[in-house]
Amino acid sequence: MNHGQQSGEAKHEDDAALTEFLASLMDYTPTIPDDLVEHYLAKSGFQCPDVRLIRLVAVATQKFVADVASDALQHCKARPAPVVKDKKQQKEKRLILTMEDLSKALREYGVNVKHPEYFADSPSTGMDPATREE
Amino acid sequence: MKRRRNSKLKFEEPSDQSPTTTADFTFTLTRLAVSQICQSIGYKATDSSALNTLTVTTTKFLQSLAGLASSFSNAANRTESNLFDVVNGLQDIALSTSDCFPGGSTVHDVESHCLIKSAVVRNLSDFVKYAPEIPFAKPLPRPERDGSSSGRDLDHEAVTVTRSVEYVPAWLPPFPDASLYSDRCTKDGSDHLWENSVTVIDRENLMDSLKSESCRGRKSGRLPQRRARVRFKMERDCSDGDTRWRQDNDAESGRDVEVKKKIIEEYIHCAGEWPI
Repeated sequence: MNHGQQSGEAKHEDDAALTEFLASLMDYTPTIPDDLVEHYLAKSGFQCPDVRLIRLVAVATQKFVADVASDALQHCKARPAPVVKDKKQQKEKRLILTMEDLSKALREYGVNVKHPEYFADSPSTGMDPATREE
Repeated sequence: MKRRRNSKLKFEEPSDQSPTTTADFTFTLTRLAVSQICQSIGYKATDSSALNTLTVTTTKFLQSLAGLASSFSNAANRTESNLFDVVNGLQDIALSTSDCFPGGSTVHDVESHCLIKSAVVRNLSDFVKYAPEIPFAKPLPRPERDGSSSGRDLDHEAVTVTRSVEYVPAWLPPFPDASLYSDRCTKDGSDHLWENSVTVIDRENLMDSLKSESCRGRKSGRLPQRRARVRFKMERDCSDGDTRWRQDNDAESGRDVEVKKKIIEEYIHCAGEWPI
């Protein structure tokens, strides 16, 4: 009997937490607009009149993109910076999202993105101007 | 040696190619949102190919989540998805990561049906609490929403979905514009005769114009409006052998009246009305 009461109270708390979370979705403005999310959902046959679920999907998508981008940023920071002889020219590493970092990050999420190899006419083709001048 | 052009552009947008189709338009909007998220993470610039790849991945994520949620709802004999369908879809999508493992079984628990215990929902709840709010760069023009309609597609710009009939499911496409069919289907008022209706008059005008255009003098097949009146009498020919009762004028007139009366009575008896 006591155990049943405790489980009932816990369930009530969980329901309250879930309700609070769904209510907070209406106050939070996701980066992806609701209309855009609705467009992609409608393309796949998803139909729901509740705006909170649209926001939930938008938030989930935003979180996914943020996680992938943050993982790619970690890969970018972990890469050793190119050696520069002149210390005055040493600049702060500019964080740029590249296909190399993105493919490594997406691989953890089960998305296989392989950048095609290209054949250059010389070894310095496609390199940064700073390293090329050396 | 020619210097290779630096392909690393800062949040570039194809200025020469404006979105021509709806797919391009929505892709451009999605890319803008993805670039904003990347900027919030800490990136200063992105490769155009990397940004496009991430945008395509985002759209695939959205569509796969929607497809999973709708399939869950269809499996439960429903057309409208609910929270359980969306959470189950999120669980399936998060299978490749470690997000779904803690509390993944509680979603399918028959007794509790508690969704908040799922790690996916808890992570989303924490994300909403602590992540900074990044509104979209440019506000989209929001049309007026109808209470019954939920999917206001960017394809249909000027469609106002007003469901006046409740028994029509919302997922069906909207009815065509009333102006396309209402004029043809509405009946003319019963005040005037059919001969005076617009269709008949128009047809007569058309026929007159055709007649004037064709060679004159040829019979068109229509009766002239002014024609001689035709009168006729119905008589019974009571001929008895060679003699005919018509020769007897006196008797004939009397018999004529009697015969006519009888015929009239018979006709009235049979048809109920004498066509005069």
